[in-house]
Amino acid sequence: MSILLPTGMNSAAFDRALGDFRRAIGDPWVLSGEEDRQTYIDPYAMGDGLDHDCSAILAPGSVEEVQAIIRIANQHKTPLWPVSRGKNLGYGAASPKEKGDLILDLSRMNRILDVNEKQASCLIEPGVGYFDLFRYLRERNLPLWMSVPGNSWGSVIGNALDRGIGYTPYGDHCETLCGLEVVLPDGSLLRTGMGAMMGAKGWQSYKYGYGPGWDQMFMQSNLGVVVKAGMWLQPEPEMTAKITLALPRFDDAAWALDILCDLRRRDIIQHNIVFGSPVRAASTMSQRADWYTGPGALPDGVSQQMMAKLGLGWWNAKISLFGDEGSVMAQVALIRRLFEPRLGGPLQFEIWKRGDPLEKSATGIPTTMGLQSVNWYGGRGGHLSFAPVLPQDGDMALAYAKKIKAYYEEVGQDYYASFTIGRRHINNVSLILYNRDEPEAVTRVDKLYRHLLKEAAASGFGEYRGHISYMDEVAATYDFADGALARLNGRVKAALDPNNILAPGRNGITGRAHGGDRP
Amino acid sequence: MIRIFAFVLGLILALMLIAMPADAQGPAAPKSANATPIATTAMGAILYGAQSANPGEKLFGQKCAFCHIGPSTGKFMLARRLPKGQAELPDRRDLTPDYVKAVVRNGLVNMPTFTRVELTDRELGQIADWLGRKGRK
Repeated sequence: MSILLPTGMNSAAFDRALGDFRRAIGDPWVLSGEEDRQTYIDPYAMGDGLDHDCSAILAPGSVEEVQAIIRIANQHKTPLWPVSRGKNLGYGAASPKEKGDLILDLSRMNRILDVNEKQASCLIEPGVGYFDLFRYLRERNLPLWMSVPGNSWGSVIGNALDRGIGYTPYGDHCETLCGLEVVLPDGSLLRTGMGAMMGAKGWQSYKYGYGPGWDQMFMQSNLGVVVKAGMWLQPEPEMTAKITLALPRFDDAAWALDILCDLRRRDIIQHNIVFGSPVRAASTMSQRADWYTGPGALPDGVSQQMMAKLGLGWWNAKISLFGDEGSVMAQVALIRRLFEPRLGGPLQFEIWKRGDPLEKSATGIPTTMGLQSVNWYGGRGGHLSFAPVLPQDGDMALAYAKKIKAYYEEVGQDYYASFTIGRRHINNVSLILYNRDEPEAVTRVDKLYRHLLKEAAASGFGEYRGHISYMDEVAATYDFADGALARLNGRVKAALDPNNILAPGRNGITGRAHGGDRP
Repeated sequence: MIRIFAFVLGLILALMLIAMPADAQGPAAPKSANATPIATTAMGAILYGAQSANPGEKLFGQKCAFCHIGPSTGKFMLARRLPKGQAELPDRRDLTPDYVKAVVRNGLVNMPTFTRVELTDRELGQIADWLGRKGRK
C-alpha cells in the first residue's frame, strides 16, 4: 500500500486539498497514513480489498464541518465517499466504489438528540449505532422498541438510507424515517418534511411537508449527506408471541409462502418474515468442516443431517405477533389453525407479557451473531448477498429458488438462501459465503453473483441493493426505455453536483473512474 | 475436533435458546439443549460495564462486549480454539495491552479492524490496559 490519489487529481492538487481539509476540521481528523487507510479496508473484501482502497479519511465532528468539507471538495474537485459508520458489511463496508475516493466518516457525529416517549420518535445523528440507541432506551427504561438488522453493528441512519430491514413491525427501516437534515453537494443545508419550516413542531410527526417529498432522493444515492434524521420507534406492546416454523421439505416453500404472504398483506403478521435454509442456521453456530469436508457444494444428504441434528426444517420461518392480549391470542389461534394440519403437530408459541424479561419478547435486540456465518469456510471470511425482488407468488418463488440451487451446485458453492417476505414482495436472498484469501473461491463467487444477476433480470426480478463491486452492473439491469431511470438520475446528479464530488458511481449514478470527471 | 465442536454447539444452542433475539439469524434451538444455565444474556452483553468505575471496562462494554460477552460471535469463534473458560476476553490472563492494540488495529482472522475514528488511541489504550489487567486482579 502506498500513496493513492483520487480519480482525476494529481498529487500536488491532492496535497493542497488535504491541507485545506486539515485547516477546516483539525489535523487529527484527516487520516491519510497507510495504517489508518488499512483499517478502512472492507473486512469482507474479495481478496485484499485494495481495489477499493481510499486515499484518505475525513472525520468531521459537526454539521458545520461537513459543510466546510463539501465546499473545499468542490474547490478542489475531490471525490468524497460518505459513510455513517462504515459497517455496511456484505456491501463493501466503508470502502468507496471508486478506488481513491476520500472516505467521509460520520462516526463522530453520534449524538442521540431527542427521544420523545409520548410521540414514540427520536432524532439522531448518523454515527449512532443500533447498540447505542438500544442502550439509551434500556438504560432509561423507556417503553419504546427498535427494529434491528441481522448485523446490528452499523448505523441506524446508514442502514435505513441503504434500505436495510429488520424483522419487527418497524422493520422497513427507510419507512420509519421522518424528517432528514441534509448537506447538499454545494454545502448548503436542507431539512425535509415539516423541518422545511423554521421552528417546526411536527418534524418527527409528519413525513411529507408541503409539495414534493425528497426523502427518497437521499436513499441509495449520491445526492446529499444526511446529517440528522428523525425516526419512529415502536411503542411497547402489551404482548408478543413468537415461533419458528420448521418446514420439512424444500417444496413446502410454495404453499407456506402463499399463506404467510397473505397474512402479511392483511397485516396479521406485521413484520418482514424470514424463511431460511439449513446452512443459514448452521453457519451461525458451526463451520462447514464440522459437517462436510468433501469437494463441491454441500450434498442434500448433509443438509438432512444438519436438519436432524439442529431440529431444523428445510425452511425455517420466524413468526412474531405483537399487540394487546386479545388480538395476539386470536392471531396465535389463526396461525395454529392454518399450519397445524399441514405440519402435523401442535405449534408452541413463546408468549411474552409486559413485565416479563425482555429477552422473551419479540422485540429487536441488536446482535452481531449473524456475522458468524462468514466463518463457514474457515479463514478470513466474507459474504455477499444477492436479493432480487419477486412478487408474492409461492410457485414462482419456488421455481426460481430451484433454478438458483441447481446453479449453486453446478459451480460448487454451498446453497444458502432465504426468502424475506415484505408487504407486497418476496426477496429471495442468496447469501454467498467465501474465504476471501482463497483466489478460487473469490473467482467462483464473482461468477456466481454475475450469473444470478443476469438470470434474475432475465426472469424480470431486480436486485434491491448493491455491493460496491457490482453497482454499475445492477443499475444496468434497470433498463426500461433504454435506461430512462439512469438518465434521470444522471441529470439530477449533474444539476445538484456538477463537480461530481459526492460518492461518484454510487448505485451506478455518474461514476468518474470510467467516464471522466464530469457527469 | 468433533468433541470441541459438540461442546461449542451445545453451548451455542443453550445460549441461543435463552437469549437469541427473534430477529437474529438462525432458528430456535431444539428443546433438549436447554440444560445449561447461562448467566449472561444478549441484553446483559449490550449493557455490560455500564455501571463500572473503570473507564476501560466501561468502554469495553460499549465497543467490544456485544461480540465478546454472552451469546456472541467473537466468543463463539474463540471458543473453538481456546481452552474452556477463556472465550470471553475479560476472563483471559494472557492478554497484554500491546497485543490487544495490535489485534484491534490490524484485525485477526474474522475480527475486523477498528479505526482511530471509531475508537481513538486513548480509548483503545484504556480498553487494552483493562484487558491486560492493569489495576485489577
